[in-house]
Amino acid sequence: MRSKQLIAIVCVISAWIGIAQSQTPAPPPLSPTDKQTAEAFEKRAKTYSKMREALEEKMPKLSKEAKPEEIQAHKTQFQERVRNARLSAKRGDVFTPDAMTLIRKIIKDEFKGRERVEFRDTVLREAENKAVPLRVNYPYPESQELMEMPPTLLLRLPQLPKQLRYRFVRNNLLLVDRENGLIVDYMTNALP
Amino acid sequence: MKRILSSLILTILLIVAGVNAQNNSTRKNGSAPPKAGISLTLPNKEGNVRFLVIGDTGTGTDKQEQLSQIMLRYRQTFPYEFALMLGDNMYGSEKAADYKEKFENVYRSLLDQKVKFYAALGNHDESNQRFYEFFNMEGQEYYRFTKGNVSFYSLNSNYMDKKQVDWLNDKLATDRSTWKIAYFHHPPYSSGGAHGSDTKLRQIVEPIFIKYGVNVVFAGHEHFYERIKPQKGIYYFISGSGGKLRKGDVKQGSPLTAKAYDADMSFMLVEVDDNQMHFQVISRTGETVDSGVIVHQRQSSKAASNSQ
Repeated sequence: MRSKQLIAIVCVISAWIGIAQSQTPAPPPLSPTDKQTAEAFEKRAKTYSKMREALEEKMPKLSKEAKPEEIQAHKTQFQERVRNARLSAKRGDVFTPDAMTLIRKIIKDEFKGRERVEFRDTVLREAENKAVPLRVNYPYPESQELMEMPPTLLLRLPQLPKQLRYRFVRNNLLLVDRENGLIVDYMTNALP
Repeated sequence: MKRILSSLILTILLIVAGVNAQNNSTRKNGSAPPKAGISLTLPNKEGNVRFLVIGDTGTGTDKQEQLSQIMLRYRQTFPYEFALMLGDNMYGSEKAADYKEKFENVYRSLLDQKVKFYAALGNHDESNQRFYEFFNMEGQEYYRFTKGNVSFYSLNSNYMDKKQVDWLNDKLATDRSTWKIAYFHHPPYSSGGAHGSDTKLRQIVEPIFIKYGVNVVFAGHEHFYERIKPQKGIYYFISGSGGKLRKGDVKQGSPLTAKAYDADMSFMLVEVDDNQMHFQVISRTGETVDSGVIVHQRQSSKAASNSQ
C-alpha cells in the first residue's frame, strides 16, 4: 500500500515538473500607468517605422538572393534617404523621460543579484562594441558587435516594430534600425 | 515515469557512445595528423539526410581555409548536400568584399559543388545577411526548412523577441517531421570559460523544445566543440570553432560535458536515418575528435515501454 502511495506521489511530482518545464515564463503585467507609458512609446516607435517604410517602398526591392554588392548599395542608399528625412531628429524623440523611467525599472527588475553583476560585466567589459559613437541618425558601425538582447528582457520591454531593435552599448540602450543600421534614438544609464 | 525511464536509457546509450568516442580519440591522439585520406565513422547511406555543421566561421584566415579543405576532402567520400551555419558568419566589416573574403573564397569549391549553406545569425552578423544569395535565408532572420524526415529551425538567438517566440511555437505545433533540429548561435548549455550557458535564452526556448519534441540543438558562439550530456531529453552540441579557436576554454570537469575538444578548430558531419542520428567531429588536422549515434527519443521511449 505504501509503495503504491509512493509511486502515486512520484507520478504527481513528475507530471508537475513536466508541466513546469514545458512552459515559457510569462512576463509580469504592467500597472495601468506603466501600460500607458509603454503604449505611447510603442506609438512613437511606429511613427518612425512608418516613415522609413514609406521611404523603403520607393527604393528598388532587395532580392532574397542578393549579391553582396546589392546588399551594400541598398544599405547605403537607404541610410542616406532616412538620414535626410530625419535631419531634425534628436535624442529623446522616442525615449521620453517617462519612457526612460519605465524602461530602467523593467531592466532593474529583470536582473537581480548575481544576474545583475554578470549582465553588467557582459555589457561593460566583454562586449566588443565600445567604439559605437552615440549619435542619433548616425550609423551603428558594422564592425561592432551587436550584443545579444536577453530574451526574457525583450518579452518585458515595450514591443517594437520588426525593423527596430534594442541594443545595449556601454551603459546605454539604443534603438537601431536593423536594415539601414541607423541609431534612431538612445537613452543613458540603462544598466541596472 | 516513462520520461524518467527513457531519459535513463538515453543516458546509458550516450555514455556507451561517449566511451566509444573517447576510445577513438585516445587512440588517434597518439598518431600524427593524417596528411591525406579520411576516416569516416558514419554509415554514409544514400537516401539518408547528410549535412555539415560549422559555426563562427567568418574570419577569412588561413586556418579557416585549411579547415574548409578538410571539409572538401570528406565530401569526396561523404557527399553531404548542405551545411548549417551557426552564426558569426562575418566578423568585422560587412562590405561586399568581406562576403567574398570571409565566405565565398573560403568555401568556393563547396559552392561549386552545389552545397547549400543555411545560415543563422550571430552577434557579429548584420540582419542584411538574410538577403545574401548563398545563405539561403529567404530574407528571414529565422526560418524553417525540411530535408527528408528532418525539420530544421534556424533561429536568431541574438534577438529572440515575442514575434520569433510566437513563430516558433506556431511552426512546431504543426510539425509532423520525425526529427526536429534547431540551430542558432548562443548555446543554452556550455562549459565555456569565456561565455558559458546562455540561461536567459534557455528559459525561453527550452520549454518550447520540450513541449514540441525538438530532438537536437546545434549552437556556436563558444570557439570550441562540446557535446553536452542530454538535458531534459534533448541533445545539445556546440560547434563554434569553424574560423576561430579559444584554446583550452572548456572548463575541466564540467558536469555538462559529455565530450569536448578545444585544442584546434573543428566541424561536424551529421547523418540522419529513420531513427538514428550519427555524428562525427573532425579537426583542422583531419583527426576525428568525437563520434557517436543518437537514438530518436520517441523510438528509445518505445523500446523502454517494450522492455517493461
